[in-house]
Amino acid sequence: MTKIIGSVEIGTSQAKALVGEVAENGSLNNEIVRIVGNGSRPMEGMRKGEIVDFRKVASSVHAAIADAEKMSGTTVDSVYLAQSGSHLKGRMLHGSAYVSSSDNRVVPHDLERASEEAHRREADEGRNYVHFVRTPILLDGQVRDDPVGMHGKKLDLSYWAIDGDEKAMRSAIHVISNYNIEVSDLIVSSIASATMVADPGLRRAGTLVIDLGAGVTDVVLYRQGFVAYSGVIPVGGDHITGDLSMGLRILERYAEKLKLEHGKAAPDPTDEKEEVWMVGDRTIGDRSVSRKAISDIIHVRVVELFEIIHKELGDLLSADDLKGGILLTGGGSRLPGIEQVASKVLGMPVRKAGAPPGIDPSLAQPENSTVLGLLHYGLQDHGLPGQRQATTNTGFLGKIAEMVGIKPSS
Amino acid sequence: MAQDKSKKNPSTWRDLRPTSSRKPASKTARRKRSLGLLKAFSIVLCILSVITGAWYVTRSDFKQDFFAWNELDPPINQVVFDSDGVLDHRWFQNWYGPLRGRTLMQIDLHKLQADLLNEPQIASSKVSRVFPSTLKVEIQEEAPVLVLRLGKKGGGYQDWLVSSHGNLYLGSGYARNSISLLPSLSISPEQLKLDPEGRGFRRIDGIEAVTPLLELARREYPGIYRDWKVISYANPNETGPGSFVKVISGKVKSLRFSPQNYAAQMKRLKYLLLEPDFLRKPVIDSIDLSHDRSVFAKL
Repeated sequence: MTKIIGSVEIGTSQAKALVGEVAENGSLNNEIVRIVGNGSRPMEGMRKGEIVDFRKVASSVHAAIADAEKMSGTTVDSVYLAQSGSHLKGRMLHGSAYVSSSDNRVVPHDLERASEEAHRREADEGRNYVHFVRTPILLDGQVRDDPVGMHGKKLDLSYWAIDGDEKAMRSAIHVISNYNIEVSDLIVSSIASATMVADPGLRRAGTLVIDLGAGVTDVVLYRQGFVAYSGVIPVGGDHITGDLSMGLRILERYAEKLKLEHGKAAPDPTDEKEEVWMVGDRTIGDRSVSRKAISDIIHVRVVELFEIIHKELGDLLSADDLKGGILLTGGGSRLPGIEQVASKVLGMPVRKAGAPPGIDPSLAQPENSTVLGLLHYGLQDHGLPGQRQATTNTGFLGKIAEMVGIKPSS
Repeated sequence: MAQDKSKKNPSTWRDLRPTSSRKPASKTARRKRSLGLLKAFSIVLCILSVITGAWYVTRSDFKQDFFAWNELDPPINQVVFDSDGVLDHRWFQNWYGPLRGRTLMQIDLHKLQADLLNEPQIASSKVSRVFPSTLKVEIQEEAPVLVLRLGKKGGGYQDWLVSSHGNLYLGSGYARNSISLLPSLSISPEQLKLDPEGRGFRRIDGIEAVTPLLELARREYPGIYRDWKVISYANPNETGPGSFVKVISGKVKSLRFSPQNYAAQMKRLKYLLLEPDFLRKPVIDSIDLSHDRSVFAKL
């Protein structure tokens, strides 16, 4: 038997939705999930990853979901929703517990106590936790994947806790619930896309994943397979477009076109003599623009972006700890030469993330790493060792309501 | 600043509840909700249709309506009434009432049959459909063997017919002269009991033991039977001196039979009445045939 799941990314430039099929027991030909439908619509009403016009955002998102449902031939009842935006902040929460049993053997209850202590810290006023990502469990100072059954005295447990603005999250959730769909889980975009592009081996080796989006840039750093840092830089591809528009005194739509067709992260010596013709409209007429001018403007913004990342990460950015290197993904990673600029600024090898295996080539694009990653991340078990994931259970009336597509008000 | 609280679970995004209106915000969402409502309405309509249909089909007259609507069952245009007694087609028409355009399938045969059997004059009934539009009614009537005259409230009297099984009924369709030929029954008031269901009187005990004598006399000794006026009896189902059937006739004031072996007794009576001494007397006081082969007579 298979189960239908969905994922939705409310991006600054695009609303994306996927419908996946997952085997309830076992896997589908060794895959966790098979994509059976996808939808994508241009987005309006978003700025820097946050909703500024609810109706416009809802219109795009609902249309994308409807496209994905239509392609898959089924409807989804719940989705994994990506959460991004500069309002997201992460911090490490620590908890510890002494082993309770008389023979000093660790039991699941000990882990739960340590976890509860770590979770005890409330978010600031007006903010709610989005995501808790567990870091390695320490038993008497030693890293243990699963300490249950082992002998020891003290357990230490940490979570990388990401919290966000209540209003921003409520708006995003409301967009989905307005379409009579439940949000199964809210997952931070950076972690979703990193799940997709960085395999467990790379994460264990230590890697930094940078998702260059239109409105914001998501960053997540892995050490020993666990999240050590995540953040959102409020600079994205739209800023580059804005810079081009102002610098070349052209409309944003032409600037976007120039960026996509002729943009480079770093100028080339050959660019100086080359010019690009813009086919104008009645307002500006046809005019030419120097390639070097385009490249220079883009280069400045790209360098600034990676300098901000460098400053944010500080000492965490260490070649010894990041043997897996730095991966670029997202639409912005398409910019030719961006990995070289990044490498120069960050002082470490940088490469573009490859296409994830088992995904249709039309979907395996860098812009889709977040929405793809949502499905894979959402299906994984992120609980403590010895714990089982809770399953939702709707009553008889709930099932009838789901059948006819009517959700009871929460 | 983060606040330390002893709360077990800090607030997460799952604690957020939508505060905005749940009215669909996009054309796609409105279409989805409309489809959902339409689906719900269709399901409810289907369920109601099934329930209504099931109720309608289980109605007792559904089949009849069905046949009628489909013109497989035209109105009854002939009633064939057959009886071995005196009741005729006119009686049935009066008893049943107008057909009012009813079809064969609209007639509840079992009920009609049962209603006919409830008539004390009817011993058995059979009702059948002869398609396309004929109703056939066959009955067998009770045969009256005696008449019982009972007083009426408010004065006067009423003649009740006694059937061969002991049923009492007023009778319908009988010619007056045929009833007048029947002997009368004389019984004590204790033997006459009202029917608890209000349908006249209960069956009179003992008549069935007397009926063979009456039938034998009527059939084989009509000359003698014609003269019989009153019948009475005591313990006709038993043997012994206390059980007898007594007949008062024009010729013999007291004619006593034993309830057993009527044929032998009638034979002896016949020969006795042919004796010159019995022939000469206009009225004989008594003849007792109940003592086996002996006959006691008082001239």
